[in-house]
Amino acid sequence: MSQKKYWKGIEDLNEESQIMQDLRNKEFVEEIPTDDFLGDKESLESGSTTRRDFLKYIGFSTAAASLAACEGPVVKSIPYVVKPDNVTPGSADYYATSISDGHDFASVLVRAREGRPIRIEPNTMADYYSTTNARIQANVLSLYDSNRLKAPQKEGEEISWSSVDADIATALATAGDKEIVLLTSSMFSPSTKEIISKFSEKYPTTKHISYDAVSSSGALDAYETLYGKRALPLYNFAEARTIVSFGADFIGDWLGGGYEKGYSIGRNPKQKEMSRHIQVETNMSLAGANADDRYSVKPSEQASALIKLYNIILGENLATNKTPIDSKLAAIAKELKNAGSKALVVTGSNDKNLQILAMKINLALQSRAMCVGKPVFVKEGNDNAVQQLVQDMNSGKVSALICYNVNPVYSLANSVEFVKGMKKVETTVSVTQFVDETTKESTYNLPSQHSLESWGDAMAVEGEYSLMQPTIRPLYDTRQFQDNLLKWMGSDEDFYSFIKNNWKNNILSKKTGSTWNQTLHDGVLKLSLDPDMPTLNEVDMAAVAKAAQKYFKNAKGIELELYVKAGMGNGELANNPWLQELPDPITRTSWDNYLTISAAHAKELGLTNWNVSNGALNGDIVKLSAAGVSMTVPVFIQPGQAYGTLGLALGYGRSEGVKDAMKTGVNAYPFYKSFNKYASSVSIEKVEGEHEFACVQLHHTMMDRDVVQETTFDIYKNKSRDEWNPINMLATHDGNQPVSKIDLWDQHDSDIGPHFNLSIDLNACTGCAACVVACHAENNVAVVGKEEVRKSRDMHWLRIDRYYSSDMTKEKAKAEGLSGVTGSVDMYHQMEVASANPEVVFQPVMCQHCNHAPCETVCPVAATSHGAQGQNQMAYNRCVGTRYCANNCPYKVRRFNWFQYNGNEKFDYHMNDEVGRMVLNPDVVIRDRGVMEKCSMCIQITQAGILSAKKDGRRLEDIDIQTACSSACPSEAMAFGDINNEESLIQEPLHDDRKYYLLETVGTKPNVMYQTKIRNKNS
Amino acid sequence: MICYLTGLDLKNIIKFGVKPKQPIILTKLLITKVKNHRNSLTGHIVLSVIFSFIFALSTFAQSGDTKNGKKLFNTNCAACHKLEQRLIGPPLKGVASKRDQKWLQDWIRNSAALIESGDADAKAIFEEYSSIPMTPFPNLSDQDIADIMAYTDADPALFEKKKVEEVAIVVADPIDYTTEVLIAVIVIALFFTIILFRLKSTLLHLYKREQGSYFSELVAYISFIVKNNTLAILFVFLISMLGIYAFWEWGLGVGVDKGYQPIQPIAFSHKVHSGDQEIDCQYCHSSARTSKTSGIPSANVCMNCHMLIQEGENTGKEEIAKIYDAIGFDPSTNSYIENYEQKPIKWVRIHNLPDFVYYNHSQHVTVGGLECQDCHGPVEEMEEVYQYSPLTMSWCIDCHKTEEIKMAGNAYYDKIHKQLAAKYGTQKLTVSMMGGLECGKCHY
Repeated sequence: MSQKKYWKGIEDLNEESQIMQDLRNKEFVEEIPTDDFLGDKESLESGSTTRRDFLKYIGFSTAAASLAACEGPVVKSIPYVVKPDNVTPGSADYYATSISDGHDFASVLVRAREGRPIRIEPNTMADYYSTTNARIQANVLSLYDSNRLKAPQKEGEEISWSSVDADIATALATAGDKEIVLLTSSMFSPSTKEIISKFSEKYPTTKHISYDAVSSSGALDAYETLYGKRALPLYNFAEARTIVSFGADFIGDWLGGGYEKGYSIGRNPKQKEMSRHIQVETNMSLAGANADDRYSVKPSEQASALIKLYNIILGENLATNKTPIDSKLAAIAKELKNAGSKALVVTGSNDKNLQILAMKINLALQSRAMCVGKPVFVKEGNDNAVQQLVQDMNSGKVSALICYNVNPVYSLANSVEFVKGMKKVETTVSVTQFVDETTKESTYNLPSQHSLESWGDAMAVEGEYSLMQPTIRPLYDTRQFQDNLLKWMGSDEDFYSFIKNNWKNNILSKKTGSTWNQTLHDGVLKLSLDPDMPTLNEVDMAAVAKAAQKYFKNAKGIELELYVKAGMGNGELANNPWLQELPDPITRTSWDNYLTISAAHAKELGLTNWNVSNGALNGDIVKLSAAGVSMTVPVFIQPGQAYGTLGLALGYGRSEGVKDAMKTGVNAYPFYKSFNKYASSVSIEKVEGEHEFACVQLHHTMMDRDVVQETTFDIYKNKSRDEWNPINMLATHDGNQPVSKIDLWDQHDSDIGPHFNLSIDLNACTGCAACVVACHAENNVAVVGKEEVRKSRDMHWLRIDRYYSSDMTKEKAKAEGLSGVTGSVDMYHQMEVASANPEVVFQPVMCQHCNHAPCETVCPVAATSHGAQGQNQMAYNRCVGTRYCANNCPYKVRRFNWFQYNGNEKFDYHMNDEVGRMVLNPDVVIRDRGVMEKCSMCIQITQAGILSAKKDGRRLEDIDIQTACSSACPSEAMAFGDINNEESLIQEPLHDDRKYYLLETVGTKPNVMYQTKIRNKNS
Repeated sequence: MICYLTGLDLKNIIKFGVKPKQPIILTKLLITKVKNHRNSLTGHIVLSVIFSFIFALSTFAQSGDTKNGKKLFNTNCAACHKLEQRLIGPPLKGVASKRDQKWLQDWIRNSAALIESGDADAKAIFEEYSSIPMTPFPNLSDQDIADIMAYTDADPALFEKKKVEEVAIVVADPIDYTTEVLIAVIVIALFFTIILFRLKSTLLHLYKREQGSYFSELVAYISFIVKNNTLAILFVFLISMLGIYAFWEWGLGVGVDKGYQPIQPIAFSHKVHSGDQEIDCQYCHSSARTSKTSGIPSANVCMNCHMLIQEGENTGKEEIAKIYDAIGFDPSTNSYIENYEQKPIKWVRIHNLPDFVYYNHSQHVTVGGLECQDCHGPVEEMEEVYQYSPLTMSWCIDCHKTEEIKMAGNAYYDKIHKQLAAKYGTQKLTVSMMGGLECGKCHY
């Protein structure tokens, strides 16, 4: 053994070293700081658990846990103590009611399960407002919003209703000569009006002011000037043959919306004539996207053009300016005159004078499409009264301000003055569903009820009354606005008995044989009145035109148009994740608002949008200034935007009462000065940074593919099908054969029992996106949030693709000599670029339910399989998440659950809280992480329909099986039915010449078909 | 020995072929018992035929169908009426002869209206029975009422007949001798083994070879087997196959809760309610006909009867008190307690299908015409309910493959039936022929 000595360190040489002494006795010189991580040393040492015991315990507990895990969990089943008569667990109830949230109105049917409303469907018994848009469909989720105000508050502290009532009654009684102001959204409820008039009797200084955040006051004023009554004329687009719209987005929410159905009826090419739609507008709106001819002009030029059109049609000579479309106006006027009583001119301006001009043109043409004898009451907002209120409050004339269902602190352009004024009002009360911006400034915050929890009535159109009934007990300690008024008047009656009495005394008596119960069942009471033509007042048109000149006299520089998105509306529903995630039908971008700009203009200013490496869209940010307001906004290059103009959506940038994830975009209301959605002399300046968009569509043109088939009305009427919708042929050894005859696989047997098909009429589809939200609601589709949408991980089972036309075509390329390898590369590059003023098509795409589905053949575990009823079925519990199916799907309709979206705080939307989950449909499974999902063709609805037919012992009918999308479609673009039933409505589209299948040449044999789009172009 | 044959025993034997402990003796007994019954039965039948003939001349009751009447009675009336005893309502035996037909119809369809009309009899009955109005049955047709009356008037012995017939069927059924045969085989095999060993030792003795001990013989045999490679491999193979099979069988049982019988918050006896009292399953589980779920009855359904029946034979009083505690009922004053904070009864769920399975009761009960017992087993004999069926997918599918769809008389199937019959060449059509095995029919 070697005698060498090795030293561990310099201390080792020092024999006297204490350290070395210590080290001989112990392992470490210093005490190990076990206390720090094990706690009290003494108690640790006094414990009897040795290390071995500890290991034993671990071993036993692990074994015990594993054994316990083999036991199934104990599930409790808790029945009602006293079951309500009308609730049967496991089956759905339907209630006819109305949704009226101040911005939208619709007669609806509500499907309730176990006392929970879970879906909204249109009530087809109503003649008017019987369709639903995306916001109405999404309204059911707002009922279960966890951010709702849950109990009355005074200065942020909870108090009881009784002390609220005492306080407010005293405040009202001591108002003296000062005004008591009720500031409400449009309330066309006869019973509420009755209460307010009684309230005014009790408190004579009461003033009721209606306030619409997005105003239609101009149109109301125009009708009032002409006919002496604040109302809107009834526009019947189904009657119109030529429609000329000056910036009126009547597919959107123009004058309260609800015009899609009439519009699409008039555009059915099967009729002898199909309506022709000319749109003169600034932003690319939904109506503009559906137009046959679209002219993009500045807002100031819209006004000039309208006056010019008036001059031509009425042969007058009112002062106006030149516009770029002057040369077209003569032709437009001619078309209108030819159409005569079937002509319709509308304007989207909120100016009284421009509205009068448009109405006068219709009157001169004796248009039957504008019916002044049937006034519409869905909008009541009075801009002047609201501005007067701001002044009155500031001058101390108001003693009490009671706001209901309005949020002026957020949505008024001069909200700073409004807030100042509120400080001078003794008592401020906000009756609201959320702790929103206005509520923050009010003394009393009183929780109000959602439409689905309330009693109510409405008269949207003269002669048609609607009822609203609760479909669920109030979720929180809330009280209706009307009940508040009754309480504060000192009445003991509740609103339910009030409304019932009011109907018995004043409304039901108008129609013999009508009863309260029957009306409650139907949801509507139709008096079927004939139009009552009011007398027309004389108007000095020269003065009108002069007043309208303000729109173009001083218009300079860049102009801005504020607009409303199909999803977000006026911003009241900003905390609704379905609407936030809904891609805008035009820009296909969700979770945002942005400044739209034309491509040429953006190029001049050096502004760009670009795609980053994962495909997501980014854009430059600019500082936008107009009329003393400025803010930074991202820019979005929008084909069809008029050069020199900008567009910005209202309804975003909410700061209070919404979850953090929903605080999206910027608030554009400060630009909405005096309720004028146009602004001129706008400046923009590029600033540092870039903005991340959540845009779901990367390709904006079809690049010469025939994904969407379209033709003109002229060709459709006069030429054979082979010219405009040729049958797809493939070359075989037997010569050319139609694709439908060539098959790699054996045919499925589809003659026995029902076989479902869905037809989508591209001509009727307006892109309104109601179907997308309906699908969300019906199928428990998850919301994934902006970041995930950017990664193309959106879960929409149904998407609406939007394609723009391009200036480059194959013919044009040939003429320009773009051929050969390099030439065609150039050609395709240019084809990718949308035209400056493109034609637009919308194409809803969901699972095509192929009879020979490519997804089925590649699934390694047979999780997706074919059903004899024509549905491609997806068994989630079998799926292992290989995603082969999504890769092999030519339509890209399969969606993968990258995360668990329910009960996951990283996705803090409705599925992450107890209340929000109440909206889930109990008949559809919630999918878990790692599972593929897709459109099931609402198999839960078709199965339930089949079951009800079997139980009744009758044949299956169309009405049993309408899918979420087909029932929600306001324009009846979607038809769903059983092709083995000769009486089904699906038979007509199935045998229509316009029918084609998406990518038919792939040989997938889909059960979803499309109908060729027809444009009514002047030949 | 006759004491073995309780009603329950007989029913068990009838329905599930439970093997009696002493088969030979019991069979004999059964036969004698049946014989006795048969003897008395003949008499009964003769008597009742005579009686019914006489009654048919005088009252309308006997124009009804007693069989249907019994069914209707059990579904609609049995909750409140018995034949011979007073329950919530009066005993109904012979009621048809006490009241006239029109009066009975009026009373059954809407007793409140009859009382209001000032009918003295109606008023008297109403007051006699604690002023509890009878549930109106406007849906019962004249014929239905006649059927019920026929049942209430009929001799109960008529219905005894059925039981006897069923017993007779049991006697005809072969009794399972599998175990006995197996034991016999083993005994015989052992017997032969011993004889062979004796034979061998005798032969060895004859050859004057030394007889080794049985133990060394055994060792020799085993070492022969171990040394023989082929045999060893075969042996190991067999053992491992058995092991895999056992593991497979065990694995199939994971998550299958057949026989699951949790303790419930109320010791509710289905045997008492459904078996002894013959309350129809769907009186309490009424949504099974119309809805996805069969529905656990809410406490107010229990109160329909237990407002009056406040005690039972065994633990009834305590258990019924739990209902009162849930709903807020004071049996001492026979009234509901006002502003009572009701406590829902938290039953333990026995039949748990996974969330990804869609199962609809009304599809199977109303359309398919299945009996509750087809899946839930002899609930009417269960003191405590247990899970009778495995509820596995293969169990579902087996039935979908074999059970014939009841298509007759349902217009939904008119066309489908013809087409399917032509396609498969048979009138017996199963669910699987209609796509009942497709994944999407139950998983969505």
